[in-house]
Amino acid sequence: MKIATSMLTVATIILWVVILFFSVTAVYSVMNVGVNIGEAKMLPTSNGIKFSLPFSINNNGYYEIADLNLTTRVTDPDGQVLDLTETLVNSIPQGETVNASHTIEVDLDDILSMNHLTLMLNDSNFTVKIFAGLNFARAVPVQLSTNVSLPWGAPFADFSVGTLSVSQHNSSHVEAAIPISFENHAIIDITGTLKMEAYSNSDRRVASGVTDINVASNQNFGDSIHLYARAQDASNIADGGKLHILFETYLFTVDWWEPYG
Amino acid sequence: MVELNSNFIMNTVFPRVMKGAIMGALTYMVVYYLPLALLPDNLPLSVMPFDYRSQLFQFAVISVFFAVAGQLFAKTVIGHGFGIAKAIVIVAYFLVLSNGGMLSLTVPIEDFTLNLTVDITIILLMIIAVNMLSVAKNLLGAIGILTEKSTDIDFH
Repeated sequence: MKIATSMLTVATIILWVVILFFSVTAVYSVMNVGVNIGEAKMLPTSNGIKFSLPFSINNNGYYEIADLNLTTRVTDPDGQVLDLTETLVNSIPQGETVNASHTIEVDLDDILSMNHLTLMLNDSNFTVKIFAGLNFARAVPVQLSTNVSLPWGAPFADFSVGTLSVSQHNSSHVEAAIPISFENHAIIDITGTLKMEAYSNSDRRVASGVTDINVASNQNFGDSIHLYARAQDASNIADGGKLHILFETYLFTVDWWEPYG
Repeated sequence: MVELNSNFIMNTVFPRVMKGAIMGALTYMVVYYLPLALLPDNLPLSVMPFDYRSQLFQFAVISVFFAVAGQLFAKTVIGHGFGIAKAIVIVAYFLVLSNGGMLSLTVPIEDFTLNLTVDITIILLMIIAVNMLSVAKNLLGAIGILTEKSTDIDFH
């Protein structure tokens, strides 16, 4: 009985020493892990916008950092997921530094295909949910999470249609000038064509026109779009109706209806 | 009778009280004073999942109480009972303190809030294991004392 008790005492002491040793070295190791987050960059790409966040982790502790997982989920104000990106670093061994970059690519065509016209016309805020997980010493899983609000600048913010004026173009056609204005709040330049079709109150297309537009980021656009209609439709245009507006840029195509008159 | 009590006090109670006092002081040093001395002074309370000073003090009170009680009733069934109680109280204390092994912490950083969760289940299981060994050891000790008493032959 005494031998068994002595052995249990020895085992208890050894286990306490192991627990204390691991706890102390783990805390020391965590305090010696250096995390450097670089400057976040927002860049235009061929199909949208790219957010890039470079970071480096310097593991000066005693234990390996494994299964580092950085996940970001971008949602619109309605909670619809626009992007889900994951960056994985399998292992950061003791005494090593790992450089990585977390890149979120927002495809404007994807946004449009999800019927997010309001995002093209109105500024908004995206919610970016950031999850980070790692396995410390392959024994202690750690999870971090936070929510960040990301402002979204609409490419056609404050879009407005002014008062239409009709004048004679030639003997067979009339010219209708419709002033339009918007502010490009996006970080990308808007370069493409603007096609406009005027429909009468009886839903009949009565005039159309096309113009090239080139609006730099954070610049305003204000110009008159010239539509041409047959002379007999002059009264139909002047009576008002609705406009079918179609923007075609190298990044995306968007169309919507606006009342006029 | 009075002489007998004096001898008992001088030979049994006084050494045990002294041992209890020394063990209590040593436990206080190891469990409370030393960790506080090792922890950095500028450690902000906001980054800790709990008020570590008061929690450490609570743990020190538990440890000192059982260290003193263990010495006062050393080599008795009651002493082993205190040993078992100590193990169970420590397990319960760590289970409650660590929220079942999941430490959660909310750190406000400028405009946003950082939620941190640390899964210390493995460390908790090690603490439970070591305390279960302590329970087994004290049970064997108590059984040993009871067995010796039951097989003693009183010739007086």
